[in-house]
Amino acid sequence: MKLNEIGMRRFLQVSSTLVIAGLLLEIVSLLWFHPLSFVLFAFVAATLIGLGILVYLMSLVFVAAPSAEPHNIRQQSR
Amino acid sequence: MIGILICQIAVSIVLASIFLIRPSVTTGAAWKILAFIGLCVLPALCIVGGMNTHVQRSEQTKFCISCHVMAPYGQSLYIDDAAHIPAQHFQNHRVPPGMACYACHTDYTIYGPLKDKMQGLKRIYVQYVSTPPDPASIRIQGGFKNAQCLHCHLGARSFEENPIHAAIMDSLTSNQMSCLTSGCHDTAHDVANLAHEKFWKPAQ
Repeated sequence: MKLNEIGMRRFLQVSSTLVIAGLLLEIVSLLWFHPLSFVLFAFVAATLIGLGILVYLMSLVFVAAPSAEPHNIRQQSR
Repeated sequence: MIGILICQIAVSIVLASIFLIRPSVTTGAAWKILAFIGLCVLPALCIVGGMNTHVQRSEQTKFCISCHVMAPYGQSLYIDDAAHIPAQHFQNHRVPPGMACYACHTDYTIYGPLKDKMQGLKRIYVQYVSTPPDPASIRIQGGFKNAQCLHCHLGARSFEENPIHAAIMDSLTSNQMSCLTSGCHDTAHDVANLAHEKFWKPAQ
């Protein structure tokens, strides 16, 4: 399956899920005063958020934006 | 500071949840901008803010001594002995007591804080994956450098007017003679003999 066939919605859902999971883990790491909290933040939370941002940016590059022109007008002009 | 960061994270979660539940809203221009803010700008700022908070937190004394092997080193800061260098620095606030370990053990160079974090990660690995060493056998890799003492003391009147310091200043600044191991200020973190020490009890 090509990336541009996946669709903007799917990309946004995956990106949102990754960002939300990363942000929730970041809150846990901030409230937990322990040396492992830094590991949790740096290696898990920041990675998930970074991946979420990357997926969102990929959606902008690979998924063609839907045309603003209504479908019926496009058919009439042919 | 953490409160502001958590509020920022909460706003990011709310925005990301909108795009998780209803991704179709991004057809409008305003929602596209909001998606860019909610899924790119705010999360990136949350990473920067989180990293900054964690780095500042790792400079705190209570963070350093929260590892089991470092606990005796934390206790040694309360030894009631003026010859005990770390204790007298900590008790007399010659270093900020909240970040006493960091003040003396950081490498005061441009990449010093980064090197400290890498060392910290190695210690976490040793603590949780490998076998933690006996606290009394822990030694600083490469020895304690004079630069860490001179960062504060160099240029201070009481230090420079001391005739012994003045006579060996070149040897001290070039690290040829150690402040700690040359017989002058050689009592630091004597954790092997903690049981025989008298401790200072702060009033508060």
